[in-house]
Amino acid sequence: MSGSGADDLAARQAALVAALVTGGPVPPGFRSAPWEAARAALLRKRAGEVARHWPLLAAGLGALWVPSFTDWAARRPTQGGLRDGWDFARHLRDRAQLPTLGADELAAREATGRYDGHTTPRPRRFPALGRAAGAVAVGFAGRVRLLRAAPRPPAP
Amino acid sequence: MWWWRGRVRRVTGAAQPTVRTGLAGVGIGWRPEIAGFVAELPGLRFVEVIAESIPPTGPLPPGLDTLRDDGVVVVPHGVRLSLGGAEPVEADRVARLVRAVERTGAPLVSEHVAFVRAGGLEAGHLLPLPRTRAAVAATVANVRRTQADLPVPIALEPIAALFDWPDDELDEAAFLTEILDQTGALLLLDLANVYANARNRGTDPVALLDRLPLDRIAYVHVAGGAEDGGFYHDTHTDPLPSAVLDLVGELCARRSRPPLLLERDGRYPPAADLRTELDALATAAGHPVIT
Repeated sequence: MSGSGADDLAARQAALVAALVTGGPVPPGFRSAPWEAARAALLRKRAGEVARHWPLLAAGLGALWVPSFTDWAARRPTQGGLRDGWDFARHLRDRAQLPTLGADELAAREATGRYDGHTTPRPRRFPALGRAAGAVAVGFAGRVRLLRAAPRPPAP
Repeated sequence: MWWWRGRVRRVTGAAQPTVRTGLAGVGIGWRPEIAGFVAELPGLRFVEVIAESIPPTGPLPPGLDTLRDDGVVVVPHGVRLSLGGAEPVEADRVARLVRAVERTGAPLVSEHVAFVRAGGLEAGHLLPLPRTRAAVAATVANVRRTQADLPVPIALEPIAALFDWPDDELDEAAFLTEILDQTGALLLLDLANVYANARNRGTDPVALLDRLPLDRIAYVHVAGGAEDGGFYHDTHTDPLPSAVLDLVGELCARRSRPPLLLERDGRYPPAADLRTELDALATAAGHPVIT
């Protein structure tokens, strides 16, 4: 097999991954049912990985966690569980859809880490406050304390 | 006909000793969530740990260091090298795997016949290769690059895949055999993957066993899975199906007592259920019970 075989393989692998993680159409020649099953399984697995990094966010959404995360993630390539969860939590915050447990968790993360939305989050070197949807946390020397929990919805 | 020579050699070489890896009996995939359970298994001789989870410096995960110091063999199992990628395997990932070997004292490592990234995007999952000669060449090149730095043998694991590429030139057995022959790598045979692929493709898993180079097996994976949406998913979070246990029996009828390793990656059941699965594996393969 010549170099063109390797080039062809690289292009086809790249096209396949792009279609799989950005919600693109099924690549030519692939059977759609197995493809869709693989994409759904990949998104569920990703939801599980993000839930390990963001257990309170996932718990706060309960039964809505998997459908809401996978719907958000279907057209967004993964940046790893930590960043995916951070991005998703900010997305929910901006739409006033962040559950209270998720707000507490996001505030704690914002207090201890500096994340620009594009590169790997870094630990903050100086004490800082993190806020999210009414929750306030303070981070210092790698530790974090929740100063104020997000307001809980009134009991029904 | 270089590929045919390998076959003849393997057939005539049937009297060769089986692969010597230091692995024996029944093992389990070490995960932080079940570290306590694993630490209490009295007969345990080997575990596998996700290679990328072994820190290059600083303390090993608590519990893993104790196992290693107690003489339990720890096998680093890589999931992010992307050996089947058309792009060359990343040198720092290989260096990290070498470091994992040094830190665990492992007699071998394992990775997958798969790719996990391409064109700068991470798939976040092991993806199947087209079974073409170009993919064989790319995988062989990456395995050789990795072997050049590794101080121990590498075993390659064929994956479970829900979809296939449309233009395969080789069938699964021929594809794997070519890669193993050209690299001299060992085989990590995952019977749950064999079962899942056969069930989803409508093929016979035992027929595949008969065509794989079973004398190259370093060890064997088994895991649970579940049916969903018309497909069998190799989830590692469900109980071990009896059909996979049956495949252990079929394998052991063809190759005496392969080392078996149970993979469980989440939704951990009560300890008694995991012990029952480990005991069933020991019984099926004629291994000592480790629980």
